[in-house]
Amino acid sequence: MKAFEAPRRDPRRDVDDEIRFHVESRVAELVARGMPEPEARRRAEQEFGDAARVRAETVRIDERMAKRRRRTEWIGDVVRDARIGLRSLSRTPGYTLTAVLCAALGIGITAAVVSAAWNILVRPLPYRDADRLVAIYGENVTRGERGSNISYPDYVAWKQETKAFSGIGLWDWYDATLASGGEPERLKGSQVTANLFPLLGVQPRLGRGFTADEEVPGRDDVVLLSDRLWRRRFGADPSIVGRTVIVDGVAHTVVGVMAPGFNFPQRGDLWVPLAVDPARETRDNRYHAGAIGRLKDGVPFERGVADLHAIDARLAREFPRENEGWRADVVPMRQDLVGDLRQPLLVFLGAVALVLLMVCANVANLTLARAAARGREMAVRTALGASRARLARQLAVESLLVAALGGVLGVGIAWIGVRLLRYGFPDQVPPFFVTLKLDGTALAIVAIVTLVTGVLFGIVPALRVPGWDAQGELREGGRGASGGLHRSRLRRALVVGEITLSVVLMVGATLLARSYRNLAGTDLGFTEEGALTVRILLAPADYPHPAQAAAFESRLLDRLRSLPGVTAVGGAQGLPFTGWLVQSWASVEGAPPPVKKEDELVVHYQYVTPDFFKAMGVRLVRGRWLTDADRDTLNPAVLVNERLVATAFGGKDPIGQRISLGGDPTWGTVVGVIGDYRQFAASQPMVPAVFYPITKAPPFFARWMSIVIRTSGDPAQLAPALRAAVKELDPRIAVEQVQTLDEVVSRSIWRQRLQEHVLGVFAVLSLVLACIGLYGVVSYAVAQRTRELGVRMALGATRRRVAWMVIEQSGRLVLAGVAAGLVLALAGTRVLEGLLYGVRATDPITFALVPISLGLVALVAAALPARRATRVDPIVAMRAE
Amino acid sequence: MPLPADRLQGTLDLLVLKTLTWGPAHGYAIARWIEQITGEVLTVGEGSLYPALHRLEEREWVESEWQLSATRRRTKVYRLTTAGRRQLRAETNAWEQFVAAVGKVIATQERPA
Repeated sequence: MKAFEAPRRDPRRDVDDEIRFHVESRVAELVARGMPEPEARRRAEQEFGDAARVRAETVRIDERMAKRRRRTEWIGDVVRDARIGLRSLSRTPGYTLTAVLCAALGIGITAAVVSAAWNILVRPLPYRDADRLVAIYGENVTRGERGSNISYPDYVAWKQETKAFSGIGLWDWYDATLASGGEPERLKGSQVTANLFPLLGVQPRLGRGFTADEEVPGRDDVVLLSDRLWRRRFGADPSIVGRTVIVDGVAHTVVGVMAPGFNFPQRGDLWVPLAVDPARETRDNRYHAGAIGRLKDGVPFERGVADLHAIDARLAREFPRENEGWRADVVPMRQDLVGDLRQPLLVFLGAVALVLLMVCANVANLTLARAAARGREMAVRTALGASRARLARQLAVESLLVAALGGVLGVGIAWIGVRLLRYGFPDQVPPFFVTLKLDGTALAIVAIVTLVTGVLFGIVPALRVPGWDAQGELREGGRGASGGLHRSRLRRALVVGEITLSVVLMVGATLLARSYRNLAGTDLGFTEEGALTVRILLAPADYPHPAQAAAFESRLLDRLRSLPGVTAVGGAQGLPFTGWLVQSWASVEGAPPPVKKEDELVVHYQYVTPDFFKAMGVRLVRGRWLTDADRDTLNPAVLVNERLVATAFGGKDPIGQRISLGGDPTWGTVVGVIGDYRQFAASQPMVPAVFYPITKAPPFFARWMSIVIRTSGDPAQLAPALRAAVKELDPRIAVEQVQTLDEVVSRSIWRQRLQEHVLGVFAVLSLVLACIGLYGVVSYAVAQRTRELGVRMALGATRRRVAWMVIEQSGRLVLAGVAAGLVLALAGTRVLEGLLYGVRATDPITFALVPISLGLVALVAAALPARRATRVDPIVAMRAE
Repeated sequence: MPLPADRLQGTLDLLVLKTLTWGPAHGYAIARWIEQITGEVLTVGEGSLYPALHRLEEREWVESEWQLSATRRRTKVYRLTTAGRRQLRAETNAWEQFVAAVGKVIATQERPA
């Protein structure tokens, strides 16, 4: 170590001295040879030449040199500090291990959550200038519905009249069976207008995109493949372009392969043109999934919305019957894709920030305890002349070392965390625009979090250095209580803060857990257990007539019914929680027509086979089930649900009443009432609904069916037999979405489960951290008071009394923390409101449960040192002085 | 007419390093020694000597120390470092090769084929 630092000199003065010495020496020499001094001086100066230039050049070199030297010295100091720090840390392995693990946990989970949030909420979507893209759906202002489908004529009006968008393209959901390149396989994708992919700014990697003349029925037998599909099924054969593949039984020409990683509107593998016959598209037939628009450069989002709404207003005036109340529902594309994930992610970010704060408080606490234990060492060093800045730097370096070690471990934890987040998504497949991996950004986040953590928990102990009372420490022999008083007050404050944050996290987690339990425990109205479901789609090319499709489906149902263990088999269009909720306005015979549009009766309707509800496990409230005999399509028998009875019949017996959908001249007679079951989401009560016999289904519903098979055995075991049955009847059919009804339900509440799990982990972690903090402070206090306790016991205090003193002290900390935490939680849990189900943000049970359980756990953490306090031997304690 | 010692790039560095092998010296002494040894064939322009010395110091081939001279003036004395000695050896070799090569060309009578 360098003992003294040479005083820093001004390089200009040094150079001047050096030059002057040179000139003077020359003068002296010339004078010695007999030259008169003035002449000698003139001669010497002339010989030297341009002194100013030499001086400037030399000074420049010296300054450069000095700068470099300072830098190496600084690096050397830091390396030396780090080496000393490591040695000193290795002398207190208990502290180092706890602190590093705490820091690693905090840094790791913060990095995992922040990198996930960045990936989902911030990272640019894989389209060109994606922040200019918007998703356009329909909004019915009178009914308060958003995200509805849109009609073709409305789309054309927007596209042609808009001044704010440089382009608008239309798309539809699409999935199809691909029969080329291997076994028939059901694939997802979309139907898109030719302008849509250019509008997204993506090019095919091979071949071309669609052309406008392919948007015509009959000329639309072309297909674009995903890069993924091209590699998987066609061995990345570049000659695929121009080849013919069989899609849904029809020959399609492959015109191109999209770029790797391209997806639209979600993960998808093939795309076909959206071909429509404009003559058959009516304004009130809103059945296209949505549109995508690109805002012109410089046009703000709000102007784009206003622009479309102005067009909608004109349409509503011109076509009041079809368009009144309807307008475009415009959302930025990212928001459309992120959707419901945004709020939970923000909650996770907030929660992880709290956990990180707790980690910092905890490590700061440990560091303060260690600093207190090293008070004597520091005092000696100060007395020996170490500057306070030097000691502060040493402590800061040690904190940063702990943070850095924690950061290295934290990368591992972040890696695990990111892995685990993947399990949060259904089928472990996150949305296409999210890549869950530990990339450069995530590592940068780790580095930043590490630095912030190190500074946060290092700064307090380092700042405390100038306050060190070296004399006091030395006089008390480092054992006294008074010198550490101030410090221990700070440590108690940190523990109270930790308990406060822990209460907030626990309240949040409990609320979400209760919501999830409520949701999972909701009576859905059907029996989740013991049923297998499957979706069957028939290609129009294979089954040109609806009657053929119906015949196939009926044969399949018969075959399934004969499988061993099967008790009921039924089919309908859309199962609960699969996004299916087709609605129509309806009228009850004899009821006066609604005065206002919002009083209109709107019902969900499906066409079901007789045993569908038996297979679903829905109960019959009144009347009878549908049977095979209900084949009359001109005067059909229908079932209604309880909700419809309450809404349209004022709760009176509806049996024998007649009902009609969307102005259909055929009236259905109600023969039975079934219990309400949840269709759209587990959290949403059922809307009024009417169920028709499957024979009444319109032709466009004929080629697909969702089937439910109820069995007395394990439904999952039935899957192979189901696949075999389908394959035996028609090997061209790709079976998809084979899952038990249980799985359908649990998949539908994945987000709530994710929320519960993540916050649960954070809450448990926070509890552990708070307990470590409390334990540390209390046991330190006990160690500090050993002598005092010894004296008390010598003077006759009972063990119970001593233990009580310690517990009382910790109890005060816990009480303060819990009180502050409850207040903070009351204010803070408001952010959870949109995520809760069946429980309010101020749920009294939660607010009672959390303090009680936290108090109990905290007392256990305090009881251990309290026990130690009772073991103090008065003789030993006093002799230690 | 004397020749400037830095007529060829790097020559001055070589001369300064060589001079310092006899022991520590200040800038004035270095300049005088070079002139004396070469019989005043080479002169060291002060304009280039000092920048050269400081550059050598920056490269850590020489190190410096302030001393009091016989006339009790502050003088900056330069001393060769180990790295400087190594550098001197390398530069001496290079110089000898250079001189030999130039000599060969000059001595050659016939035009090469």
